[in-house]
Amino acid sequence: MKQRKRAAVYTIVGLIVALVHIVPFYILLTVSFKDLRDMSSKWVFPGYWFTGNFVSAWQNAHLGRAFLNTGVITVLSVVLILIFGSLAAFPLARYQSRLNKWVYGIFVSALIVPPLTILVPLYKLFVDIGFMNTYFGIVLLHVTFQLSMAIFLYTSFIGTIPRELDEAAMIDGATKTGMFFRIILPLLKPVTATIVIMNANSIWNDYQFSLFFLQKPDSRTITVALSSFFGENSAQIGWIAAGSLMAAIPSILVYILLQKYFVDGIAAGAVKG
Amino acid sequence: MRKRAFWFLALAMLLVIFSGCSSRPDSGSGNGGSVETGSGKIGSGKAKTTLSMMVNISDESLTKAYREIVDGFTKENPDISVNLQFDSTGYENTMKVKMAANDLPDIFDTHGWAKLRYGDYLADLRDEPWASQLTDTIRDVVTDKDGKVYALVLTEAKDGLLYNVGMLEKYGIEVPRTFDEMVAAGEKIKKESGGKTTPFYLSGIDDSMIGQYLDNFANPLLITAKDNDGDALLNGSFDWSHMTPLAQSLLTLQKQGLINEDVLTAKRSDLPAAFAAEKVTFALVGPAFMDSVHEIAPDMKIGIMPVPSMVAGDEPTFAGGERNTLAVWKDSKHLDEAKKLLQYFAKPDNMAKLSNVSKNPPGLKDVKTDHELTPYYEKYANIRVFPYFDRVYLPNGMWDVLCKNGTELLAGRMTPEQFSASMKTEVERLSKK
Amino acid sequence: MPRFLPPWLEEREEMKPDMMVTEAVPRKTAGMRRLAQSPVMLNWMYLPALLLFAVFIYYPFFRGLLISFTDWDGYSQALHYIGIDNYKRMLSDSRVHTVIINTLIYGVGSTLFQNIFGLLYALLLNKHGKGKTFVRVIVYIPAIVSPIIMGYIWYFLLQYNGGAINDIITAFTGKPVNLLADPKVNVWIIMVVNTYQFLGIAMMIFLSGLQGISKDYYEAAEMDGATPFNRFFNITFPLLAPALTTSIILNLIGGLKLFDVIAALTNGGPGYASASLSTMMYQLYFARQDAGLAASLGNLMFLLITAISLTSLYFLRRKELSQ
Repeated sequence: MKQRKRAAVYTIVGLIVALVHIVPFYILLTVSFKDLRDMSSKWVFPGYWFTGNFVSAWQNAHLGRAFLNTGVITVLSVVLILIFGSLAAFPLARYQSRLNKWVYGIFVSALIVPPLTILVPLYKLFVDIGFMNTYFGIVLLHVTFQLSMAIFLYTSFIGTIPRELDEAAMIDGATKTGMFFRIILPLLKPVTATIVIMNANSIWNDYQFSLFFLQKPDSRTITVALSSFFGENSAQIGWIAAGSLMAAIPSILVYILLQKYFVDGIAAGAVKG
Repeated sequence: MRKRAFWFLALAMLLVIFSGCSSRPDSGSGNGGSVETGSGKIGSGKAKTTLSMMVNISDESLTKAYREIVDGFTKENPDISVNLQFDSTGYENTMKVKMAANDLPDIFDTHGWAKLRYGDYLADLRDEPWASQLTDTIRDVVTDKDGKVYALVLTEAKDGLLYNVGMLEKYGIEVPRTFDEMVAAGEKIKKESGGKTTPFYLSGIDDSMIGQYLDNFANPLLITAKDNDGDALLNGSFDWSHMTPLAQSLLTLQKQGLINEDVLTAKRSDLPAAFAAEKVTFALVGPAFMDSVHEIAPDMKIGIMPVPSMVAGDEPTFAGGERNTLAVWKDSKHLDEAKKLLQYFAKPDNMAKLSNVSKNPPGLKDVKTDHELTPYYEKYANIRVFPYFDRVYLPNGMWDVLCKNGTELLAGRMTPEQFSASMKTEVERLSKK
Repeated sequence: MPRFLPPWLEEREEMKPDMMVTEAVPRKTAGMRRLAQSPVMLNWMYLPALLLFAVFIYYPFFRGLLISFTDWDGYSQALHYIGIDNYKRMLSDSRVHTVIINTLIYGVGSTLFQNIFGLLYALLLNKHGKGKTFVRVIVYIPAIVSPIIMGYIWYFLLQYNGGAINDIITAFTGKPVNLLADPKVNVWIIMVVNTYQFLGIAMMIFLSGLQGISKDYYEAAEMDGATPFNRFFNITFPLLAPALTTSIILNLIGGLKLFDVIAALTNGGPGYASASLSTMMYQLYFARQDAGLAASLGNLMFLLITAISLTSLYFLRRKELSQ
């Protein structure tokens, strides 16, 4: 009886929390369904059915093309991040020599580098080596900047895998490199889900890099495409709202699909063994 | 083990190769504009040139006009293709990074900075057929003392105040000719509308609106009168306390309640809606803004008036400069093609089209226009036009100071005296360079 | 048959101990084999990543470092080395002091709230109640949205004219309040918005931490008659220490670098009153054309964040170990 009462209280509190957190999205939703001329309060859902914003946003920003570009860039980057990140984390987690501690520090401190101070030198470099306006260039850039987080999470995750497993493998005669592929890699699934969600999300939402390094209309990404709605003289807020909602859908789906692993993923890295 | 490692690496390789391949078509025609073979025209055997072009506009109607002109050009010149890009919010920053890396588009808009900011990067266009056609007001703005012409001015700015014509008629107000008349008109509107209308709208978030106010009214205060400070400003003997009334004028408007109450947090992009709802009478912005108003209130009549005078005995004036321009990067690999495109833009029909859509006066002579503001430009044809104050009398880098100080002023974090003092120190710091 | 793989990836049959004994191996090869088995040989695995970092982060970073010793305007080809003038200017500028304080509020303040609420939500949504997955998704979704868009959504809520919150205020008091204009208030609003957006990540980290804690601990505690309060502080909290470390470090770095939300809500204004180091740097760089000063500010920010994260890492790790 007491248990059930408590469960009911938790449910109610949970719903209140959800209600509070959903308010901004509710506003986004009402705005996205309103005509520009509709001056009613943002709380009020329009009494008419108006999807013009979605259609206009899709067409004017060439969102079809932008989704494709962003999708290709995100998928390629994430796959490379997973490969380079898991590889790099293994020696850093397992063999903490003085050198490797420094290397780890170098990787993680890149999280802190302010992007603006490196913008101009980076841009010059891109022009010099012909990486401008290429998927290749922007993918490598995303990979580099997201790797810090991936290495950070992979390293702490591998740290929780008992060393007994390694030793067992060694007795079976595997090399250390071989052991990584045979023993460690299959165990990384949960943390990989975490990294996919977090990194895919920031690459999908990237604005700065895409703006500067992809300067051809047909290579635009979603955020850059949507930013064209912020004009000097008017902001098509309905279009922006509709576009943002559409842009968020793939991320939300990925999150819901991987949610189960996501929780496990951080768990293994987050609890003292 | 062997299998897994193999697939792992194979996947990595494949990805690298794939991403390399898929980007190849893009990488070829990068920034400098390189040569592509014309696809589908194998017989012609002629190389196709791609020009890159960046323009800092976002208004739908105007971008459409640019696109149509460029399409017309590429139809006439099938061996040239144009990679045309529009961006308004990020344009200045992108161009600064591009200048730093010495990697500019073949053709781009100089939006008021042809000489001061972009000058070193621009090709000399003095031998172009249209160069002699530049209007009297704009010629000096884009020509230096050696005769170098920096840009084709498609439309020029002739800035005053845009106003709601119907509203002035409704309250029986004449178009104000002096600052005091303007304040009186504002007070009347505010009172008789029952507070619904606050005549002026500025934005502290997009603080260039505040900078625009200060820049536009600095001319009538310091330059346009017979007795003026123009020379003193140029030779460095200017008494900066003469600047204080400019700051004071902004505070006067605020104290009388004539500026929107949320000035510090309002956004420029909310102005069209407020203007369309008759919550604002005067707008200190370029005419491109009118389209955004008409989208909401299609029948609203909008007019333009010159900037009222501030010194007794002086007449109203316009502030002028470049608005939409096209300039050519001096290191472009396709100088000739780029100039050819400019020539195409300079055709009277195209000039008229851009002028009509943007409602700014054309930058070349003998272009017939017909748009909403044409009657006003004709009516005020004899009003003097002075170049933007900051471009002539302040060192490069002062624009942001003007905007930021104006905001501090309205936020009550700076007095008019401090405003002038701060202007003085900043000007001295920047002039030393 | 040609090899598909470099030798270091081939399976090494000959490494099996029984073979080692029977086969007579020359000394030299044995030495090389030992080297192959040594941990140092594993370091190739981070070389690709290291190469990328060197080229795309550290090379430009050091180039950028040099800008802080120049009077560069951010775009021209002309630049002069002026020593440490920019750093002197930076340290004597009273606006910079405000901005550092703001940055700390954004970084430390939101980290604090994100973790407090993240933990509370995680406790709430861990076991009991219906629809907890739904609530989790709702709390997490803001983290998915691009921060600049999040800024605009909150602008819809907070703006003076027609803002959703002001609609409610007007309904009660008859007059809207300009929430974003007062620097005493808007700094905290920005902090709250950032907290709101990334709360979900902290919650997820704690949730996964909670699910990793074995039930045995609680059962034992229950037998000893521990109160729920005791249970939390003696079991749950200590065992969550590593989760706390991860969460705090990620939130700290994110908060101290905060940019987009500020740009959308106040643009750092009025003046620089609500600016962070990131937004001030951006404005100095692009609008003020004072790239040298902007770069100095960037380096200050790098040092500040490094110092704060290292200090917290040091204390958090020590706490973890002492448990």
